[in-house]
Amino acid sequence: MDRLVRADWFGPLLVTLVAVIGMAAFSPSFLSPLNVQVLLLALCINGLIAFSQMIIIAIGQMNLSVGAIGGLAAISFAGLMEVWGVPAPLAAILAICIGLIGGVLNGFFIAWTGISAFVITLASLSIFKGINLGITRAQPFYGVPESVKAFGNTTFLGPLPWLLIPCAIVFVATWYLLNRLSLGRQILAVGGNEHASALSGISVPRTVIAAHAISGVLAALAGIALVARLQIGQPTIGDDWLILSFAAPVIGGAVLSGGHVSVTATLLGVAIVAIITQALVLFHIDPFLVQVVLGGLILWAVGVNRWREVRVQRSLKRS
Amino acid sequence: MSIDSHSATPTPASPSGGRVSGNPRFYLTNEFGLICLIVVFGLIFALLAKNFFSPFNLFALGRVAAVNVMIGFAMMVVIVTGGLNLAVGAIGVCGAMFCGFLIQVLGLPWPLAILLGLALGAGLGFINGFAVVRSGLHSFIITLATMSIFFGAMVFLTRAESFRGLPPIFSAFGTARLFGFVSPLLIVAALVGVLLSIMYRYTVVGREMLAAGAKPEAAALSGVPVGRTIILCHMLSGSLAALTALLVMARNGAAIPSMAGQLGQDWLLPAFLGPVLGGTLLSGGRASPLGTFLGAILVTMLTNGLLLLRVGEFWVQACLGVLLLFAVLVDKARRSYLAHLKVA
Repeated sequence: MDRLVRADWFGPLLVTLVAVIGMAAFSPSFLSPLNVQVLLLALCINGLIAFSQMIIIAIGQMNLSVGAIGGLAAISFAGLMEVWGVPAPLAAILAICIGLIGGVLNGFFIAWTGISAFVITLASLSIFKGINLGITRAQPFYGVPESVKAFGNTTFLGPLPWLLIPCAIVFVATWYLLNRLSLGRQILAVGGNEHASALSGISVPRTVIAAHAISGVLAALAGIALVARLQIGQPTIGDDWLILSFAAPVIGGAVLSGGHVSVTATLLGVAIVAIITQALVLFHIDPFLVQVVLGGLILWAVGVNRWREVRVQRSLKRS
Repeated sequence: MSIDSHSATPTPASPSGGRVSGNPRFYLTNEFGLICLIVVFGLIFALLAKNFFSPFNLFALGRVAAVNVMIGFAMMVVIVTGGLNLAVGAIGVCGAMFCGFLIQVLGLPWPLAILLGLALGAGLGFINGFAVVRSGLHSFIITLATMSIFFGAMVFLTRAESFRGLPPIFSAFGTARLFGFVSPLLIVAALVGVLLSIMYRYTVVGREMLAAGAKPEAAALSGVPVGRTIILCHMLSGSLAALTALLVMARNGAAIPSMAGQLGQDWLLPAFLGPVLGGTLLSGGRASPLGTFLGAILVTMLTNGLLLLRVGEFWVQACLGVLLLFAVLVDKARRSYLAHLKVA
């Protein structure tokens, strides 16, 4: 029982369950198929965004350019299909490559210069966003093929959206990476103690670049999924990802100084954010308040994490 | 000139000044490099774009530069402590909207409204500083959350509507020209810069801020109230952000909720460009108001020049990002050059 309480996913799971039961009791339309579909779609896309940031939090850095990379990948995906008539799977692969290149560039500059990830990704945020606006001239791409639109908006087995399948695969792969593969363990080791991991033979620059590359790919996937869902390639995709991308991992107990993240708890964090956003809509609460609630959630979560940290330290001292 | 918390530390050099003989202390500073760059780019733009040095363009440039300089100052005073304040944009807009509300809805006289607007900025800054000091968490995550909260609350309370019923003195101040080409906004920014320089160099509070940023433990041992100093820095940042937004308000002639973009994010890049170009260390302990001023002027000049050369407004943002990256790389080259000098 004590181990259960101390697990990262326990608190968020409890909150999620209470929220779902409470919402279902107050508003019967909450568990309607349409609403479940909307919730799952939000969970898929926001999960990808959150994972993109989570990988970087795991190495103890931050990536402000998650939204900019995602946006650039999204408009290149839509633009390739509309302007050059590239088939959708190829366009998706090219867009993922763009995300990969963006991430590798971030990681390369951070590892090479040793300057804080904050400044480097702030610069690349501006570069990627500028390229995005330069290409699109702030006009959306409307010519997304029907097959892509259908993929983002149809369901199977009742309310399950098709987008759930690739996203679920990515989620499991991320879990496998961080918990079973040596690269994932190296990422966590570098985040926990860079110096110690370098001494034990891990190549820190290589690990940093790899983490940023994975983050770029995840951001690109989120951008592509959002194009399929919105049915247009909007240049504003990615503008509002920043707060969200930090909220979910932090709610999931991620330590911002690095070395400790939880895939399951992050996904539950995404679910909590999605349910609360939905609740505000269902109960006709002002949509402007969503920002306030998100900010409050982050503060509350970091407060709880900090409190848990202090308690663990105290119990270590006693024993 | 840069102001260091340890007067014995040699002033970092700029790469352009590396080979220059003469008085090395000034030639090696970041500020000297920036002045060189400003002169070089000024000449380039003057040759390529005929109207770059026209009085009107200089006036327009000064108005934009003043705001960028002030945004840089608002961030710089927090960077000094080794922290960040992502909420500068959100706090600024809150302050300006509050001022507009007081004038238009409550009918307060404008000097009082301005003071109350600045006070609100300081108050929101106090919330940031208090949360950072009490929780012991990095200011990045705290101000990320408060940025969302402040901006969301502001939009909720104002219903995203602007306050346009401002007294004519605001727009008169925003459009006034001294000597045909100097905007009074720039004078305000310069004045704030001088005051900040004096504060960091000669006052106890300013020295305490630098000490708390350079080495908090050492500062605490020598009797500096570190927590209180950090809260003070955040309050200063908040009121500077509010003052910046008031300048924007004078420029626009109205208090508009979207003046700093969604969540005030549009201010983030200029907020870091100025201080980083000007040689303020992100790890804290060193502040350079003159460097921040020159850095922001250089950025504004580049933006303005690129627009005059018809590079296309959308590409300018990418150029600014490249500039920040370039500044960081130059800084890295300079540091390895200095390390090389010490070894040799």
